Amino acid sequence: METGKISASQLGCMMYPVVIATGIVIIPSITAKYAGQDMWLSPILASLMGILVIVVAIKLHKLYPGQTIMEYSVSIIGKVPGKLLGFIYLYFYLLMNAGGTRIYADFVTGAFFSETPLFVILATIMLVSSFAVRGGIEVVGRSAEMVVPVYALVLTILCLLLIPDLNPKNILPIMPDGLMPSIKGAYTPQSWFAEFFVIAFLLPYVKDVQKAGKWGMISWIFVVMGFMATNLSLLFLFGGELTDRFNYPLLDAVRYISIAEFLQHLESLVMAIWVAGTFIKLAVVHYALVIGTAQWLNLSNYKPLVFPLGFLTVLVSIWGISSEMEAANYSGTIFPSFSIVMQTCIPLILLGIGILRKRNNSG
Amino acid sequence: MVKRPRKLISSKQTTKSIKEGEIKRDKDVLSVDLDKNIEHIQALYTNASDVISRSFYIAGKQKAVLFYIDGLVDIQELNDNVLGPLMEEDSFDYSDVKELLEKKITVSGIKEITNISDCVKKISSGNPVILLEGSRSGLVLNHVKFEKRSIEEPAAENVVRGPREGFVEAIGINWTMLRRRIKSPKLKRKEMDIGKYSETEVILAYLEGVADENLIKEAENRLKRIDIDGVLDSGIIEELIEDYPYSPFPQILTTERPDVATSHLLEGRFVILVDGSPFVLIAPVTVYSFLQASEDYYNRFIISTLIRWLRYIFLLISLLLPSIYVAVITFHAEMVPTPLLIGMAASREAIPFPALIEALLMEITFEALREAGLRLPKQVGSAVSIVGALVIGEAAVMAGIVSAPMVIVVALTGIASFTIPRYSGAVAIRMLRFPMILLAGTLGLLGIMLGLITIIIHLATIRSFGVPYLSPMAPLQGSETKDILVRAPWWKLNTRPRLTGKYNKYRQAPGQKPGPKHGGE
Repeated sequence: METGKISASQLGCMMYPVVIATGIVIIPSITAKYAGQDMWLSPILASLMGILVIVVAIKLHKLYPGQTIMEYSVSIIGKVPGKLLGFIYLYFYLLMNAGGTRIYADFVTGAFFSETPLFVILATIMLVSSFAVRGGIEVVGRSAEMVVPVYALVLTILCLLLIPDLNPKNILPIMPDGLMPSIKGAYTPQSWFAEFFVIAFLLPYVKDVQKAGKWGMISWIFVVMGFMATNLSLLFLFGGELTDRFNYPLLDAVRYISIAEFLQHLESLVMAIWVAGTFIKLAVVHYALVIGTAQWLNLSNYKPLVFPLGFLTVLVSIWGISSEMEAANYSGTIFPSFSIVMQTCIPLILLGIGILRKRNNSG
Repeated sequence: MVKRPRKLISSKQTTKSIKEGEIKRDKDVLSVDLDKNIEHIQALYTNASDVISRSFYIAGKQKAVLFYIDGLVDIQELNDNVLGPLMEEDSFDYSDVKELLEKKITVSGIKEITNISDCVKKISSGNPVILLEGSRSGLVLNHVKFEKRSIEEPAAENVVRGPREGFVEAIGINWTMLRRRIKSPKLKRKEMDIGKYSETEVILAYLEGVADENLIKEAENRLKRIDIDGVLDSGIIEELIEDYPYSPFPQILTTERPDVATSHLLEGRFVILVDGSPFVLIAPVTVYSFLQASEDYYNRFIISTLIRWLRYIFLLISLLLPSIYVAVITFHAEMVPTPLLIGMAASREAIPFPALIEALLMEITFEALREAGLRLPKQVGSAVSIVGALVIGEAAVMAGIVSAPMVIVVALTGIASFTIPRYSGAVAIRMLRFPMILLAGTLGLLGIMLGLITIIIHLATIRSFGVPYLSPMAPLQGSETKDILVRAPWWKLNTRPRLTGKYNKYRQAPGQKPGPKHGGE
């Protein structure tokens, strides 16, 4: 079905924006709400979930090499339950992508294009992502390889430019109420880290799959660093209490940048790289959704599904989430719970059953 | 619906007739009867009085005939070295072509041929042909001589440092320029004639053991597929063998410089020379090939690296500057520092158009000026530059039709597009500027990003003869970025760029970094 292959490093590049792109926009304020000045600790705790899902996905792929989760769920728990589970996964990824698209669109309309219809913003990014998905996994991988380094570089530069305005004392006192607030603050970010589980759809198409674990970890480290850097910058800039008042604290932080009276008002630059990051994220998740659907339906070609499913994603992101309030509720509480079930518990159970099955077969 | 079957039948018929023609040609061996041969050839060349047949007797005994085209043959040589010796009286027996060839004709370039179609082909390409009474084979002499342009410095690819000779229209001379640079017998060529009527000579050149065999096979197959009536320039061949014909980006590099062609041969690519065109084709190439000038490799590497980055930056300027200007003016005025913004707003105050229209207007005018400058007769050149500079620059601003910043933007964009060393690459970027301006005018920076992403997706999709267009950056091949991100010094460029499959990895011995301690003592 998919003839192209990507390299493990491309996989790493693709996964980075999947977590970071939307996460960095809304996670800091959600984390700050629960963790206060310990908001920098939460990503570290949440990142453990990232390691867990990467390990689980790779172990599962080792048990059933060359298969995506859509295929091995059938081999593990039988035809009907497997197909049923597959459908739930497709539904989950449709919702996840719709949510991601919505976060992006709310950000763009809220901060820049207040008069542009939401549908236009949603449809254009989905259209562009669909172009990439139609080109196959190679095109998604190569686009990621071109875009992600620039994305990470701009993000780093923005954080560096903030340095003159930072006040490191905001971090004190460390853990005034114990570890509990930062654990609570980690609840939402963990679902973003769990999005690493998308590699369960991509691993069969990785050329040097033995390196996939390594590159997954490299990508994970960069994601943790990205979250840490933004959370720390925001904490130093605003302090824990102020950060959660902003919808998009990083955007407000960037407004502070003013170097030599010339380098200022870089918000538009933030939006520019946001578009780039979101594009990769949507393309990767959309690819997973499309290839999963094609496998679920036993189709021989996934390309006819690309645009219809893209359209469906746009519709879900408009109808499923009716307002910005609901969007915040969705990404703050609903999605994390859904994610724990779908991206952590079920894969763990699948892995357990899979290992038992293999042992029984060989023994 | 009705037309389709008819088409099929007609195409079948044509293939049939072509086949018949081939069979006939196979039967066309030279006959022993000289008169019959002469009659045959002259029948083919009716109403072509430039083909001259000169009958004579070898040593006064044996009848022979010489065919040649007036103006394509070195008459002096022909008289002195062929007709002269042959018509001298002596006692040899000349019914045997071989003996004649070995003992009598004092010409080095000579070949035996046995059928009429070959005879016709050779005569048409300017070689004199001698046919003998009583012999089944004739002689082809290599006495082609025609007026051609002398070797000059290539007009479109100037260098400050580096070889100054450029390819010319004659394929033989072009080939010798390559051969002079690569003396190894590994330099191979595959010849073919393309064009039903033009029968243009096309040479596929490659370096055996360096270029991938499958790549050469693929190139040969694509060339052989071509069925066209005439090839006037290598551009026609290029359009018929590229991978993605609808892409604005060229997937085959053209050059006028033999040193460029040679360097690509050495990197395992192939070169296609087409008779009548000073531009040779090089493939497979990547997008970066269009941003590299031959001079990069002759100047000091630090300077070359800096110049390369200058080009990358100006590539982005050439593509994006007008659209960023439009986006900023229309949507993101807060991005501009306040004093600058006030200045810009003041100069735009009297302008009746929105920035989008203004930008399109100016860009189109600039493109028109460029095109006019290219085509106009040299005598009126100054008129256009006066009109361009004064009327469009100065007067339009004074009249309040366009703003001064827009003129600066357009001028800068124009200069930027000329920093791209390869014309075909620069044209693609210039063309893409217009959709980018439209996107910027409708969606601002968001539109620019979406446009850029679409371009990246497209670049990630296309390939040139199987080589991903963005490689070695995507897919990333770490060691090869040394010729992309920087121009590594020659003593570091130890490996060839990896193109396809099997390849000859090392191009030079490692550890050649010079220094005061190396070499001496």
